[in-house]
Amino acid sequence: MDLGKAHLGRLPNGVKDLFGEAAARQVWAERTLEATFAGWGYSNVVTPTIEYYDNLALGVDSQVRGMTYRFFDREGHTLALRPDITVQIARLVGTKLFGEPLPLRLCYIANVFRYGELQSGQQREFTQAGLELIGVDTAEADAEVVTMSVVAFQALGLREFQVSLGQMAFFRALVAMGPLGPVGLARIQEAVNSKNLPALRQILREEGLNGEAGRALEALPSLCGGREVLAQARRLSPNQAAHIALDRLARVYDLLAVYGVADRVILDLGEVPGMDYYTGITFKGYARGLGFPLLSGGRYDDLISRFGTALPAVGFGLEVERCLFALGETGRPLSLPPHLVVGGVWGAPVLALVQELREKGLRVEMDVLGREERALAAYARERGARGTLISDGDGRLALVEPSGRRAITRETLLAEAMTWQS
Amino acid sequence: MAIMTIALPKGRLLEPSVNLFRGLGYRCALGEGSRRLIGEEPTGDTRFILAKAEDIPVYVEYGAADMGIAGQDIVRESGRDVYEPLALGFGHCRLVVAGPAGLKGRDFRLASGLRIATKYQRLARDYFLSQGISVEIVRLYGSIELAPKVGLADLLVDVVETGRTLRENGLVVLQEIMPCQAALIVNRASHKLRLAQVSQLVAAIRRNIPVEG
Repeated sequence: MDLGKAHLGRLPNGVKDLFGEAAARQVWAERTLEATFAGWGYSNVVTPTIEYYDNLALGVDSQVRGMTYRFFDREGHTLALRPDITVQIARLVGTKLFGEPLPLRLCYIANVFRYGELQSGQQREFTQAGLELIGVDTAEADAEVVTMSVVAFQALGLREFQVSLGQMAFFRALVAMGPLGPVGLARIQEAVNSKNLPALRQILREEGLNGEAGRALEALPSLCGGREVLAQARRLSPNQAAHIALDRLARVYDLLAVYGVADRVILDLGEVPGMDYYTGITFKGYARGLGFPLLSGGRYDDLISRFGTALPAVGFGLEVERCLFALGETGRPLSLPPHLVVGGVWGAPVLALVQELREKGLRVEMDVLGREERALAAYARERGARGTLISDGDGRLALVEPSGRRAITRETLLAEAMTWQS
Repeated sequence: MAIMTIALPKGRLLEPSVNLFRGLGYRCALGEGSRRLIGEEPTGDTRFILAKAEDIPVYVEYGAADMGIAGQDIVRESGRDVYEPLALGFGHCRLVVAGPAGLKGRDFRLASGLRIATKYQRLARDYFLSQGISVEIVRLYGSIELAPKVGLADLLVDVVETGRTLRENGLVVLQEIMPCQAALIVNRASHKLRLAQVSQLVAAIRRNIPVEG
């Protein structure tokens, strides 16, 4: 049988090797996000790549279930490659971590697998970076996580992005007013999600939803914008649950202003994703020119209980490759040149200085080729370094910059180098 | 502010689409015998691009265009994730099942192995599946009416405006799947990132539609 040979040396559709600049960008993005999450007190969790399918199926919607890679173990159990990390964290917390002091702040950067169409930088194996704030149901928790989504985009250097913020509890309060079956509900949800007003009107007529709830549902696609949206929605609210949902959203929006990120957030009550998952606020991140969200998240208070312990939670997952794709589109250079290239004759004192620079956050490259000063300075220029440091082996240092060459002391270099970081 | 890109479809929807935007004061210098695929407005803030009708939802989903005009049949068939805020009140047609007059009134649930010629694979499959009828879809790119005449398929699924082409080929409409018209579709990110600009344009277009469907 020669069939196998046709694949030799090739990769299946949907996975890829990364090398050179692309690998550097990927690793840089992951590290940047990890450091950002850590700075807000989130600790890493690492979950397994394969799990029993039944576990995973408890916490992903039917669309994702349909895209899950499945196979069998030797005992005949169905296993799956994880299509999502949040469900794994729900399992981990629901079965193991529920006794820890609350709230839990957990984050992850991990590859997930979905058998789907390849689009906009997303392969069938792709990387999600996300976090979950578990054990509290407060506006403060919601606001922290939404803020983190903005902070994550900013850390990656994305400039043209918006986070749209919705409130699933408001939608739930509206649809609870009508005698809706699951099919009618799904049709309404789809029409609202695509802001398809003509279709929405027709469905509401067909489903007999013509009262207050119907009017509010019909307005959902246009309830999109700044703070004024809250007042508009309040006038349309038919019941107490809807008012409570809006109160929460208003409080979150106020806190986002305190965090200084409100200008990055658009209120959109017409974003109503994942009925079987989200219970409160939901949000999505978009970058200019890309129709697919780079990030999605929200409050999911019923998920962890499916694994044993009831705990409220809010979180998001960010699609790393899509963000890199969007960054490429906006033309921001991602390569990280060294700040300094160091060569000449060097020993332990120079290495100690280099280490000190590195600890201050500078990227320093040691010459390991024994290059002449002129060749090394040319290399440093090509790499985009700020300068080349030459040690003569007798404790004297010289800094070669595009502007010229000068002798420099250890102290002056340390002080100057601090101004190089952008 | 980056330029706003609006994608218009080649074919029967082009003329009414161009008229719609000219009615709003755009020059919309596209098509009309010329081969230009991109026409920038003198103001420099908007440009129109001309694409194959079936490709419009792709341009808009990917953000190559901020918004576009496409038939509802094409938007549904594409399954692309875009906003669809307006039905535009022109380009009315119906997506139908058609076949030889002799099949009128037949219950297709009793037929086995029906072959359907269409360019609407997804919509045709979903329509028959929703009635519990399993069919074989034959994907064709044009002259669908030919398929039942030469034995390539039993039935066809296609859009009809007047039904003249069907009649001339001895075929009749057997069932209506859905009425269609032209729709405005909007990229999800554009809607968020240039909300004011997009809502203004959508509102202006809405005012120019005679009767919203």
